[in-house]
Amino acid sequence: MADGVLSPGVNLEAFSQAIAAIQALRSSVTRAFDCLKDGMRHRETLEGREKSFVSAFQDSLHSVSRDLGELERLSNLVGKPSENHPLHNSGLLSLDPVQDKTPLYSQLLQAYKWSNKDCGNSPLSTLEDPAWADDSKVLPSRTQQNDHCYFAPASNTLELQYHAGLASGLLNQQSLKRSANQMGVSAKRRPKAQPTTLVLPPQYVDDVINRIDRMFPEMSIQLSRPNGTSAMLLVTLGKVLKVIVVMRSLFIDRTIVKGYNENVYTEDGKLDIWSKSNYQVFQKVTDHATTALLHYQLPQMPDVVVRSFMTWLRSYIKLFQAPCQRCGKFLQDGLPPTWRDFRTLEAFHDTCRQ
Amino acid sequence: MGVTCVSQMPVAEGKSVQQTVEILTRKLELLGAEKQGTFCVDCETYHTAASTMGNQGQAGKLMYVMHNSEYPLSCFALFENGPCLIADANFDILMVKLKGFFQNAKANKIESRGTRYQYCDFLVKVGTVTMGPSARGISVEVEYCPCVVANDCWNLLMEFMQSFMGNHTPGIPSVFGNKHDSIYSPADSMVQYMELFNKIRKQQQVPVAGMR
Repeated sequence: MADGVLSPGVNLEAFSQAIAAIQALRSSVTRAFDCLKDGMRHRETLEGREKSFVSAFQDSLHSVSRDLGELERLSNLVGKPSENHPLHNSGLLSLDPVQDKTPLYSQLLQAYKWSNKDCGNSPLSTLEDPAWADDSKVLPSRTQQNDHCYFAPASNTLELQYHAGLASGLLNQQSLKRSANQMGVSAKRRPKAQPTTLVLPPQYVDDVINRIDRMFPEMSIQLSRPNGTSAMLLVTLGKVLKVIVVMRSLFIDRTIVKGYNENVYTEDGKLDIWSKSNYQVFQKVTDHATTALLHYQLPQMPDVVVRSFMTWLRSYIKLFQAPCQRCGKFLQDGLPPTWRDFRTLEAFHDTCRQ
Repeated sequence: MGVTCVSQMPVAEGKSVQQTVEILTRKLELLGAEKQGTFCVDCETYHTAASTMGNQGQAGKLMYVMHNSEYPLSCFALFENGPCLIADANFDILMVKLKGFFQNAKANKIESRGTRYQYCDFLVKVGTVTMGPSARGISVEVEYCPCVVANDCWNLLMEFMQSFMGNHTPGIPSVFGNKHDSIYSPADSMVQYMELFNKIRKQQQVPVAGMR
């Protein structure tokens, strides 16, 4: 292999000499231990034996230190391999010799390049290694002449940008942001403006929940913190349903609605926050509750939000008794009116609203 | 256990029990219900033995021992206006031991067998009531599983029953009146079945020509 082809910083001659030096060091260390193992040789006097043993051992130690010094000198000459790994640690994947069966690194490079916005400024543009060109069936052809851009044509990235733009336009119409930060705030300011409503003391959260608990007689709220600081509420509404509310400080994160007779605990007695209800009506109400917690938003006053959500939830006490306000019937596709209007709290079937 | 209503479906004019059951099940399937296996509810009658009655001459009480395939490990024992006991399946063997006090009126054994349908959160069981070898009527049980308070969902249940039973939709069961706001339990279903079976027993037997 020619000098400095793979890694321009490595002195390959010094490298091979250093390997030889390691072997020499190994053998001198072995000799030193052998000398110790053999012990004293036969001499006429005890003094003579001791002297010869000590001198032999000293010689072997000298040779060890000499070899070690040689190795250190050579290792300084060898130098560091180039830090020029594109994609940093993933460049180590390129050391895998089974290139044909798992062309992982080259595919990784291709994917990165394709998804990268700016074709010209990517760090991959520094990858000019002709060694990789040997494996031509792995890399695409190098007929592209523009700007070191070996990989996917620019049209792919343009398409991606176009679709991303469309998607962001559509998503921004329904503002689902619940934090108080505005978009486009300069990067310098963002880390400093820590949203204070996210870091509330647990005692405050407990107080707010207790107050809401006392607000409605037919609704009882049980608060627990089995997993760290986020509160988990078990809201029981009359004998109609139970709601598990997972909170993040005073913001409602997720809800699951289950029937009054369904089990809300797992086998080890903890609150089960993941499994869905067995009944279609409560699965529907869960979806509506998720919509509600996204609808009621006031980043600066989260306790008002929780209060509104609970008021909305309380309207479900008449889930099975109230007919739909629009069609007047109780059942639609086997479901009672599961939708509650956010302002008027009237009952509608899911298909009857608006 | 959800709120359940057990009622009797009268046999259609000029048709047999079997044919009426078929009409009903076809209506259910048109509605979109899925067949989910079979069910069986049976009831045995026990008289209090004469030897225990003493001189007061009080009428012997009738005890009903019932089983429901929905609760295969349980056995229900009830008096007509009295309490309902829910025991495990070994209760039957216990009754054999209590032969001296309760005598089995074997001829009065009555049962309802049929298919089970599920539609959304509703469970519908349409069964043929037989006493011995003869079919005596049709029982329809409708359960709304998510609700546990009886009076809450009566209107909902009625609307559902009207969709496939039409004019034969029953009125509110008597057990609902006693429940107020307490939770519905399987014992209430068994009381309803017991009342249904008693009613069918008293009815005149369906004429032979109409039977299969």
